[in-house]
Amino acid sequence: MKKYLAAILAMAMAATALTGCGGGSTEPAAEEATADGYKVAYIARAQSDSFAAWLANEMVRAAGEYEDITLDVFDGQADDAKENAAIENAIANGYDAIIVQPNNGEAQRPYVEQVVAAGIVAITTNSRIEGIEGASSVDADPYIQAQVNAEKAIEQVPENAKVVVLRGPSGNFHADERLKAWNEVFFAARPDVQIVGDDYANWNKDEAMVLMEDWTLAHGKIDAVISMNDNMAAGALEVVKDNPEYADMLAYGVDGTAEACLLIQDGLMTSTCLQSAIDLADLNMATVHQLLTGEAEQIDTDIDAVLINADNVAGYVDMYKANGQITE
Amino acid sequence: MKSSKSSQLMQKYSIFFVLLVMIIVSTMMNPNFLSGRNMTNIAVQLAVATILAYGEMVLIVSGLLDLSSGAVLALAGVLSVSVYKATGNMLLAVAVSIGVAVAFNMINALFVANFAMPAFIVTLATQMAARGLALLYTSGQNILQIGDYAFLGQGKIGPIPIPVIFMVIATIVISYIMNQTKLGRSFYAIGGNEEASIASGINVVKSKYMAFLINGVLVGIAGVLFMARVNAGLPNGAVGYEMEGLTAAIVGGTSFSGGIGTTSGTLIGSFIIGCLNNIMNLQGVDSYIQQVVKGGIIVAAVLYDIRFKNKKAPKVILKKKDEEEKKDDAPKAEAGA
Repeated sequence: MKKYLAAILAMAMAATALTGCGGGSTEPAAEEATADGYKVAYIARAQSDSFAAWLANEMVRAAGEYEDITLDVFDGQADDAKENAAIENAIANGYDAIIVQPNNGEAQRPYVEQVVAAGIVAITTNSRIEGIEGASSVDADPYIQAQVNAEKAIEQVPENAKVVVLRGPSGNFHADERLKAWNEVFFAARPDVQIVGDDYANWNKDEAMVLMEDWTLAHGKIDAVISMNDNMAAGALEVVKDNPEYADMLAYGVDGTAEACLLIQDGLMTSTCLQSAIDLADLNMATVHQLLTGEAEQIDTDIDAVLINADNVAGYVDMYKANGQITE
Repeated sequence: MKSSKSSQLMQKYSIFFVLLVMIIVSTMMNPNFLSGRNMTNIAVQLAVATILAYGEMVLIVSGLLDLSSGAVLALAGVLSVSVYKATGNMLLAVAVSIGVAVAFNMINALFVANFAMPAFIVTLATQMAARGLALLYTSGQNILQIGDYAFLGQGKIGPIPIPVIFMVIATIVISYIMNQTKLGRSFYAIGGNEEASIASGINVVKSKYMAFLINGVLVGIAGVLFMARVNAGLPNGAVGYEMEGLTAAIVGGTSFSGGIGTTSGTLIGSFIIGCLNNIMNLQGVDSYIQQVVKGGIIVAAVLYDIRFKNKKAPKVILKKKDEEEKKDDAPKAEAGA
């Protein structure tokens, strides 16, 4: 009996491991391309990153709208070596186009150059790798995403306000560019504002919660939370949401996640900038199709940076209801 | 003689003195540190990591460890949140979290106890599998609008936050198991010397299963508390939490060699790490520097462990075994049969 039990559990374990590792496999996720269609590889930064996972899902959806495109998704697992290996494999497997969402632009640069050298259509996206001759790019400009919030904040943040800054991972292009925009647009224009807390929460809600708990204790009333993404802003708001002392606290984020839209709708968050995975995916597929069919040789383009606030949030809540991320 | 006694006393309670000194210094640095609100903050922030640390302590004492607890916590937590959203049944949601975590720990136990695979490798594999399943199930997206489920992580009973109540209950239960039961003594024995334990009639395989079972229950509870506290189902949440648990256990005096470790030491270890994080946040110290400081503390704790290992081992392991042999011969014979 024990032997049978052991065998069953061993098989269950093996099946679990295979299923669980599927997201990180370097094997193609979709079926083989048709003989007369285009085979496109999409190398995602990390399927464990909620935005990257959303973008990968939208890429698959957008590719489905093109009869002559077959898209295979690979996971870079937030690891430069694994992402570079996935690019090399895609070159060796004879894909017609390779779209790379870099984990670290400079680490992937030589491999994207190899894609170009192999005569394969190359696109870098979210974020673009600048200055690769022959490669195209589709992105959302992180500087502008923060800038649209920062411009509003100049007027909204009260005089001599105490603010806290929640940073993304150090060295991350989007985190750095968003912070740069806040420094150049907001803090340069508002020297009266005092930063009482400034730390890395690495895009994570739970890390932002711990920081905010400690900051509210150390500094008392905080007038505004300036966060480099929505996840961290949501964490900070989770700490003070039931405290009337913070009822008029302002909070800014970037990404336009479903959670941020709900917080804006509830009057807890001030604004965010939509980094729409839907728009990015649609633009990527339109771009790769144009490049593959010879309509264009190189394209560098950005999606719009749309500010979401109380005035227009209802439309975005509806959008998330439609794709199932918001259920009520 | 006096000097020897005071040395033993110092050795036994050194971890408490470290925490005491830290509290005094932190209070001098920032008067807010010792406020009731900050103490509550620290306790709530530490609840999940401390509960995980108890699981790691039980396993390490038994000569095992678990690298999968953060990932299993995430999988158990998101499934629990989903069940709650679908049914509105809190008890069922908690049961699902504990059930999933226990199931993964039974898989760990199977390969470690029955197939003699190293716990490091097995739990590394289940870590990957559990994280992959959590991401697969949620398509990498956070589960929002979890309703009253958040009460378990954010609510209070009287003035005491619920996560702290769970932490206190876990402390009492684990302390009882480790100090007052035959099972607890078997953990110390097999971690101290597995061959001697087999020779003395302890059912080592069963004890290993029980160690993983206890860890599974704790991870399942931690999964509920974590997701409820962040008010969402985060499939990529709790990354690296197994290291938080391991760190607390090691700083609290649990020996990686097995056979040595206490519940109170683990609790103190967790509070040392938590107080350090807290005072550095209150003082505005960069989080990367905080990591460096924590790294230094782990090295110091392990160095201390190696330095005093030979002195500590006979006091704990052999004493427990001797007591066991004197007190209860019959059950041992039964276990060995």
